[in-house]
Amino acid sequence: MTNPTPSTSCDPVTLEIVKGALRSMQAEMEAVLGRTAMSAFIKEKKDFFVALFDAEGKLVLGSSLPAFGDIMTPIFKRFAPDTMQPGDLYWYNDCYGSDGAVSHSPDQVFAAPVFAEGRLSAFSQSWAHFNDIGGMRPGSLSPDATDIFQEGIIIPPIRLMRGGRWNDEALRIFLRNSRFPDQSKGDVRASVAAVRLGERRMIELFERFGRVRVLDALAQSMDETCRFVRTRLATTFKPGTYRFTELLDTDGHGNGPFRIRLKLDAMADRLVLDARETDDQARGPVNFIMNADVPKMMLGQYLLSDNPGVLTNHGALQALDEVLTRPGSLLKPNFPAPLGQRGITLIRVLTACQGLVNVATGGNGMASSAVYVIYYLRGRDPRTDDTFLLTDGIAVGYGARSFADGIDAVYLVANENYPAEFLDMEYPVRLRRYGIFRDSGGPGRWRGGCGVVRELEVLAKETMLSNRIDGVDNPPWGVNGGRAGRPGRCVLNPDTPQERVLPPLADGTIVRAGDVIRLETGGGGGWGHPFDREAELVRADVLGGFVSPESAREDYGVVLVGEECEIDETATAKLRAKRPPTKAFHRHDYHDVLT
Amino acid sequence: MSEESAVAIDIGGTFTDIVLFDRRRGRIHNAKVPTTPADPSAGFMAGIDAALGAGGLPASSIRQVLHGTTVATNLILESKGVAAALLTTAGFKHVLEIGRHDIPRKANMYSWVKPKRPVPPQRVFEIAGRLDPAGNEIEKLDEAAVRDAARRIRALGVNAVAICFLHSYADARHERRACELVLAEHPQALVSISSEVLPVFREYERSMVTILNVYVMPAVSSYVAKLEERLQARNVAAPLLMMKSSGGVTGAATIRREPVQTALSGPAAGVVGAMFVGEASGHGNLISIDIGGTSADICLIRAGDPGVTVEGRVGDWPMPLPMIDINTIGAGGGSIAALAPSGGLTVGPRSAGAIPGPVAYGRGGTEPTVTDAHLALGHLTPYLLNGSMKLDRPAAVAAIEQKIGRPLGLDTMAAARGILSVVDNNMVGAIRVVSVERGHDPRDFALVPFGGAGPLHGGALARLLGIRTIIVPPAPGVLSALGLLVAQLKSDYSRTCLQRPLDYDLMRIGRVFAEMEEEAVQWLVREGVPPEGRVLLRQASLRYIHQGFELAVPWPDGGVTRDALDRCMAAFHRRHEQLYTFAQEDTPVEIVNLRLTAIGRLERPTLPRIAAGRGLDGARIGEQRVESASGVAPWPIYDRDRLGADTDLRGPAIVQQLDATTLVLPGQRGHVDDHGILIVTEEN
Repeated sequence: MTNPTPSTSCDPVTLEIVKGALRSMQAEMEAVLGRTAMSAFIKEKKDFFVALFDAEGKLVLGSSLPAFGDIMTPIFKRFAPDTMQPGDLYWYNDCYGSDGAVSHSPDQVFAAPVFAEGRLSAFSQSWAHFNDIGGMRPGSLSPDATDIFQEGIIIPPIRLMRGGRWNDEALRIFLRNSRFPDQSKGDVRASVAAVRLGERRMIELFERFGRVRVLDALAQSMDETCRFVRTRLATTFKPGTYRFTELLDTDGHGNGPFRIRLKLDAMADRLVLDARETDDQARGPVNFIMNADVPKMMLGQYLLSDNPGVLTNHGALQALDEVLTRPGSLLKPNFPAPLGQRGITLIRVLTACQGLVNVATGGNGMASSAVYVIYYLRGRDPRTDDTFLLTDGIAVGYGARSFADGIDAVYLVANENYPAEFLDMEYPVRLRRYGIFRDSGGPGRWRGGCGVVRELEVLAKETMLSNRIDGVDNPPWGVNGGRAGRPGRCVLNPDTPQERVLPPLADGTIVRAGDVIRLETGGGGGWGHPFDREAELVRADVLGGFVSPESAREDYGVVLVGEECEIDETATAKLRAKRPPTKAFHRHDYHDVLT
Repeated sequence: MSEESAVAIDIGGTFTDIVLFDRRRGRIHNAKVPTTPADPSAGFMAGIDAALGAGGLPASSIRQVLHGTTVATNLILESKGVAAALLTTAGFKHVLEIGRHDIPRKANMYSWVKPKRPVPPQRVFEIAGRLDPAGNEIEKLDEAAVRDAARRIRALGVNAVAICFLHSYADARHERRACELVLAEHPQALVSISSEVLPVFREYERSMVTILNVYVMPAVSSYVAKLEERLQARNVAAPLLMMKSSGGVTGAATIRREPVQTALSGPAAGVVGAMFVGEASGHGNLISIDIGGTSADICLIRAGDPGVTVEGRVGDWPMPLPMIDINTIGAGGGSIAALAPSGGLTVGPRSAGAIPGPVAYGRGGTEPTVTDAHLALGHLTPYLLNGSMKLDRPAAVAAIEQKIGRPLGLDTMAAARGILSVVDNNMVGAIRVVSVERGHDPRDFALVPFGGAGPLHGGALARLLGIRTIIVPPAPGVLSALGLLVAQLKSDYSRTCLQRPLDYDLMRIGRVFAEMEEEAVQWLVREGVPPEGRVLLRQASLRYIHQGFELAVPWPDGGVTRDALDRCMAAFHRRHEQLYTFAQEDTPVEIVNLRLTAIGRLERPTLPRIAAGRGLDGARIGEQRVESASGVAPWPIYDRDRLGADTDLRGPAIVQQLDATTLVLPGQRGHVDDHGILIVTEEN
């Protein structure tokens, strides 16, 4: 048998080896960043990601979180690749200047070129959400913001290191603008160490297999991912036009709801996502500069969801050929509109893309998910008399799927919670309750994931609370007969005469020692008719505290009796005989189309 | 002079390996008997008898019985533990369900499903009562609620109870009281409290490890009881010592109380064995790789010290107890080669296991495995275990051709080499995780391949890593049993003792060390270790202020002084730089945990010396055609048992023995030393 493969190209075996090497270098970079970082948001919550790119800035290996835009282009625009040298390191957080490659200012991007055989051959990159970079309030982000300058210092793409030497002056300016400069300094060092490690590992990879062969492996692995995505795409979106409208409640300034209107034109060999009919930009900080790569990656990862063998890379971005946005809209705001709460809009774009999948496939996608919740508490710690900033991300429920329940109590990929013991130790608060929010998951053949209840008592004399919950007015929709998830809320001093329900997106609430903050977070939508859920599963949910006996009866048609919640088969059969009619989507009521 | 011996038993999926040390004569005897899955204690005892027979020793000679067990491991991995209940602080019923609220970093959010917890929420009981992080009581324990929960647990017929209350790492009083109350209401209950299992903060991880402890407790307890019964019946009065994940052994009484300590018992024994063989051949820097049928366990040993981690995992669960830092990947002789939907060649983690096994075993396997690739290429002879097992090479070749070669457009031998190349590189990736990733250059280490398939891969792995020395143990298949025989008694203690900079409280540090030392000495006394055999090692876990992860560094010998603390800090800066590429001497350092390791020295055997053989020719038992990338060539086959001390050989060669086959590649040379260890090195 002849082997026509020239020596410069990469054989299938070497291809697998290179892919494995990329995965392990990514894991190494993550380990260094997570272990050495200093702010709680990075070290305990783990809000950081690393990636590798080729010399043209094409993604070689990214993360499982589809939230990142085209990371390298903003650097190339300022620094021509042919001016780069070994030992350089580039840095930015400029959302408008990067066309949404990063979409709120706390996210710091660091990237270093990788040279092999004397030529620029790749990039190593890290990304982390910094605790405080200045701005109007501790933590930099506030629902009160009305322009991006209130959300912290803006770093355009700059060169932080040249030939291995730090630009100390630039760093000093940045650190002077942070309320917690020691933590920021530690986080910069951690981020840079991760990038440098990736650079070193890439160089080793090039040395081992030769530059040309590795580059060919990278190209092949992108092709491989692309082929897979395109094949899946063809079976998911038959030629036609699909529309879906998703809602977010408010911008925190009395405006809303806001509509994200997506239209997908699927042609035989071309897919165009048109978001131009989305509402105008908001006064409050829910604007989201939707870099074209973000919806591409959202669809790409969905299409790859049953194939862990291929890499999340540039090939996954081939899910869409073109993404259209309208300047002045919520997804393409004009400078300097505020962006700090764009997480809401990001997740709503993600669920809107699943809406398109559902419309195109007759409901084979995922139901809608709640948006991860966050609150900021700022004040002075009576134990040390130092100022403190608690930025606590809280889990929600995700949408149900055609093969499984929605995920209960999760925040986002990779992001972890603060343990109760960590909170109590580090901040002047006491966590009183942290459990599943019963009945929050949308009923369905597959139940939507449940949100949580997190309740804390404040021990500091006086603190300022900022809170964010979406889906209060417009909870995550269910699909295929599945019902919507239950909305969340933020309450002060619940079940007391002083009880006060806070606006879902608010800042400046003063909370004093002894006050109790309770956050109830929303659940995901259900999938399929709730009467089709096995009674045993409903019983298990009741026993486990996910579903109440009342909901079991009313939503699922399952009658449970006694302390052990035995299934009353006769009564259940009788209830289930009267099967309520359903339509494609559910939010408040059943609808054929969500508008 | 009376006879004295120690016996070690390692129970594998197919065989039970036994190593007996005859202390008076300084001899080691190996035996192998079939594993008896229905009642492993039968094989255990049959093995001891076989070894005693081989050594010509009576059962009464046994002074210690050492054992590694996979009972706990398998129960956890297969979710087959007992129905258990958890008592938790009021408000935290769903502590397990929520976990750390993350979708794992490498998971796809569209397809990921949360793994089912070992205890469902309906068996989690909330108990009012609260401590603050310093251990002060801010709300009294609700004793009535504990009693009520205990009654309900009893009514459910559940006997395994874990108790984990918030901040109990700082003070155990609520947990201890709750334990008493549960036992009063439910005398049959097996109760475990988190402040004993793991007094360290982070409630999800601590709850989980406490639950896993009771989850495996009944099975491990009855297993241990059965072993003791068998030993008693044979009039073996010696203590039964079990291997813990940390690489030390401890008495069966401790294991009954803390069975979760054995979660990595089996792999830990192998690492101890690798260290022993490394030491005998003069090497302290080692990378051990134990390659079995379905997985490979990898460990880096630096200057005779295998790292111990408290951030490991077993299956889906965190395992924050001290365990030897072993990286396990799904790659072994039974790993299946297949084409990914994308067209790439993948090997593992799916395995053909023992049944049906590789295609060549002729037990119904149809998918080509790593073993089939070795057979096709001529690395293995068509019989195993000294001819007792026949292998079907044509079937292996056909499967590789049909499933891999043709679809990829590769000739069959290239496809077979591809399979090995992919699996070798997977292992290399896993070795890098424990070496380069932790700041070590693998070229500074010798490789110790063992397990049935280890020595087949050692040569290729070493080359890929730039390692120049490979140490093949005398009996690679039974190295875990040897590890048990040479292990020491070990117990780890840890206390959270947060000390922030400028205000280090040396008195308190001294007091905490003293408390742990007192506890440790009590344990050593219980295990019957005489004063001269006791070793206490102090460590401190440090981090830069604001960091979330600590690094453990040894506390210098001598007292708790400012100077000792300074030296400890200096060691921390060095370690941080080594592991993470940078140190931050401008940044204050805080102390988080103080640790103590107690070691009880047992009398260890030395590897016996072997006789000189009758030269290389006397060991040659044939030759075989081997397909390498450079072409087909006949490779000589040597019988390992006939290779005497101080024999040299040159690659290519196949060295065969009962339980393993070693490949010496072209360009490598082998040397059999006085202990029968085969040292393979690169010629240039």
